Amino acid sequence: MDNSSVSYLESRKLVKRWNGPIPALVNSVLILAFFYATWWIFQDPRGLMRMYTPYVGYMVCRWLLILFIWVAYIFDFWPFKRSWLNKTHPLIKGSVLTLVSVAAMIILIKGFFVEILGNFGIAYFDPDRLMAMGITDFYSIEYAAEAIMMFAAIASWLSPSWVVACENAPWQKLGQPARGITIVLVTFFFSMIVYFLTMHSHMAILFYPWQKFTAICPPYWEDFANTVSGNFHIAWIMCCTVVVWLYETIWERYPFNLIKHDGLRRTASFFGIIGIAVALCFFLFYAQDLVWGETIRGTRRLMAPDWRWLHVGEMAIFWLVPTLFLSFYCNNWPTKFSRPVNVCIRTLLTAAMAVLVYVVYYKTSHLFLGTQKGFSHPQQFPMIPMIWLINIFLINVWFMDGWPGWKAVPRTEAELEEVREEVVASDVKWTPGIAKGLAIGLAVGALLYFAIINVLPWIGENITIIK
Amino acid sequence: MSNDKKNISRRDFVKGAATGLVAGAFAGMGMYSYSPWAYSRLPKTNRKQQDFGACRSVRVTNISETSWFNNAHLIGDIHEAGGLLVNQYTLNWAPFGNGKGSAKGSYDEGMSTIKDLLPHDLEKAWEIQKKLSLHPDNPGGYSCLLEVEALDGTVHKYLLDTGWSYEWMDNCFKREGIDQMLRDQEIEALFISHEHWDHFWGLPVTMKYDNRIPLYVHDGFYKEGLQYIEDSGYKGELTIADKPVTQIAPGVALLKFDVPIINRVFGETSLAFNIKDKGLVLISGCCHQGILKFADFAYANLKYDNDRFYGIYGGLHISPFEDWDPKYDDLVISLGQWGFERIGCNHCTGHLTAKKFIEAGYPVVRGTARFRSASKDYLGNGDKITFGC
Repeated sequence: MDNSSVSYLESRKLVKRWNGPIPALVNSVLILAFFYATWWIFQDPRGLMRMYTPYVGYMVCRWLLILFIWVAYIFDFWPFKRSWLNKTHPLIKGSVLTLVSVAAMIILIKGFFVEILGNFGIAYFDPDRLMAMGITDFYSIEYAAEAIMMFAAIASWLSPSWVVACENAPWQKLGQPARGITIVLVTFFFSMIVYFLTMHSHMAILFYPWQKFTAICPPYWEDFANTVSGNFHIAWIMCCTVVVWLYETIWERYPFNLIKHDGLRRTASFFGIIGIAVALCFFLFYAQDLVWGETIRGTRRLMAPDWRWLHVGEMAIFWLVPTLFLSFYCNNWPTKFSRPVNVCIRTLLTAAMAVLVYVVYYKTSHLFLGTQKGFSHPQQFPMIPMIWLINIFLINVWFMDGWPGWKAVPRTEAELEEVREEVVASDVKWTPGIAKGLAIGLAVGALLYFAIINVLPWIGENITIIK
Repeated sequence: MSNDKKNISRRDFVKGAATGLVAGAFAGMGMYSYSPWAYSRLPKTNRKQQDFGACRSVRVTNISETSWFNNAHLIGDIHEAGGLLVNQYTLNWAPFGNGKGSAKGSYDEGMSTIKDLLPHDLEKAWEIQKKLSLHPDNPGGYSCLLEVEALDGTVHKYLLDTGWSYEWMDNCFKREGIDQMLRDQEIEALFISHEHWDHFWGLPVTMKYDNRIPLYVHDGFYKEGLQYIEDSGYKGELTIADKPVTQIAPGVALLKFDVPIINRVFGETSLAFNIKDKGLVLISGCCHQGILKFADFAYANLKYDNDRFYGIYGGLHISPFEDWDPKYDDLVISLGQWGFERIGCNHCTGHLTAKKFIEAGYPVVRGTARFRSASKDYLGNGDKITFGC
């Protein structure tokens, strides 16, 4: 096996340029500076381009994320040659790959969604058509952006899932661009199905009278979710997006990579991610009810089920930021214990960090991001700055090899073999000790869960994040 | 057993326990969180039922509900400025226009052009501002007169909000005789529901006739808003509402909601009335907290006759720009279960919402669509509604 037979991201090893925490600190400072500068230029409601209207900015964030995933994960940087990737300075590489992604994003949004789908398929993808039918320009653009954005939200779960959980099967042996095109088309197709099942009815309700002949209104989820809003789906889809990255990074694909049978492992991984995401989704919804009181259907803001479902996705995204940071910039600390122990510590650590990021965000974002004070402003989506930051992480690590704190060196043959072996782990085998530990662990995990739900009402009564 | 075997067994135990810990926590999340058992644990609402007395009736006169005359101009200006989170004082609307264009407005620069004219020469002030502002003919305003009949038969008058355009609001005040009531100091207080342009920026019009009227504002007002009260020539007693419930008079309470609102505004205050033998009446400026949150808060915190929701009046903030969202249908579907007997709505409720309320069979009181109000589906300018008697 050599470097050219695996993907570029697998072929390289990122090596620190300086000892200790200096690379992480340097990159963090640069990333935060870049985040703030670009936020001001593109998104900030007080800044230059003010794309955070909010849906236009949201759409851009989401599609950039997808394009980055396509470029790095699905197309393995095709049509850029491996030699160019190996030799080019990270700054140039980062700039070129980012600009290519932006160009592709503009072509996709303007060309495919607005001009083709909006003009020949579904009117709400084209703001001009909505305006011509009497909707104000602002809401025409926002509604179209929401529809286009939701497509990306679904794809940002399915696209990485196909690589991470399904291991690119059954096209893993195809060369590029055939593999990339195939997986993009397949995940795009599945995204479209999920979109129609979860968001098309939501979009139809935006227009009076409800488009009952073209969408299921009221939708099938109404009774279960206690709302007709598609935010119910945003909740579990966002949790899927987050869990797929937890699974890939801090969980090192554990425990499903213990399954040796390819088909079973891939199926278990794909549906396991959904199962874990749904569990997380239900918990995050219930947690809000415990802190703020039970929802009241039809009310607004903090008490509304539709907003609480949306906030589930927002809370999940707060977990993704420390997860990726730990994985990218802290060498997935800790690594010295066995894989299950490492996974457990990282999970608890990143969950605690997520709570911290959440609190800091709501305490301070209105001061430096130009957003509104409060949890439940209808035009405020913490997903936008969080994904903006994650996009910058991805540019830095995927496109720039972690520059300046890190540099890419080719993996040795032995290291490549280790990467390959990670797909099917062999370091945990069923023993009586494991079984006993598992039983005790399950009980302790359940107790931890009940301890948390018992303490949440107290937190709601006694802790105020925003005055 | 050798030490090696013991160590391996211990290591295996720890591996299993670590895996089980994470799996057990997620299993609990998935199997319990959205189950009926989880929800049976939630405490029932503990009703405080504060007794705030009772009154005999409340009559509302709609001075103006047309806060702006053209949705496309209003939302277009907001869009051009950068969206719904842009600070309202920078939008370059009168009376804070500075002639520099979209999103380049400034409280201080706008105010410097008219400060010496407030509140005595509002015609001139508004003429100056019309030249400096975006869409100067679009502002209108929201304001209503509340006439509360006490149990002893005396009538107490209050103003809720003071509109936006000096020109429009002065005409509306004259049309409904509010100018004279203010001059005669018949009106006992002015409540500002929230800091938004269309409810608050017409303050100098009230000041022109009575600059000592007791004034109530939410404690979320920004420094510009508090400065505007001073710059408008106010000389009276300002009350910054900082408690969830403030009793104003028997049967009249001011309720405070800490809610983030578009264009950087924070917080809304609304009014609750206990009508003897009838029940609770809720009156709002814009109701950004949501009508059901308003009702739920009242249910949990106030004592009212028959324990019954009786009426609503005001902007219910549902589709102010004739936009729509599925969550608004949640309200349309749910509102009927709360049992309101009279629904008077207008302004930011939106025509589309009023139409949907009527289609749902709710007891919506229709209007006359006079004085530039656009629809008979709700209570327009100059229309009145009485709760009780």
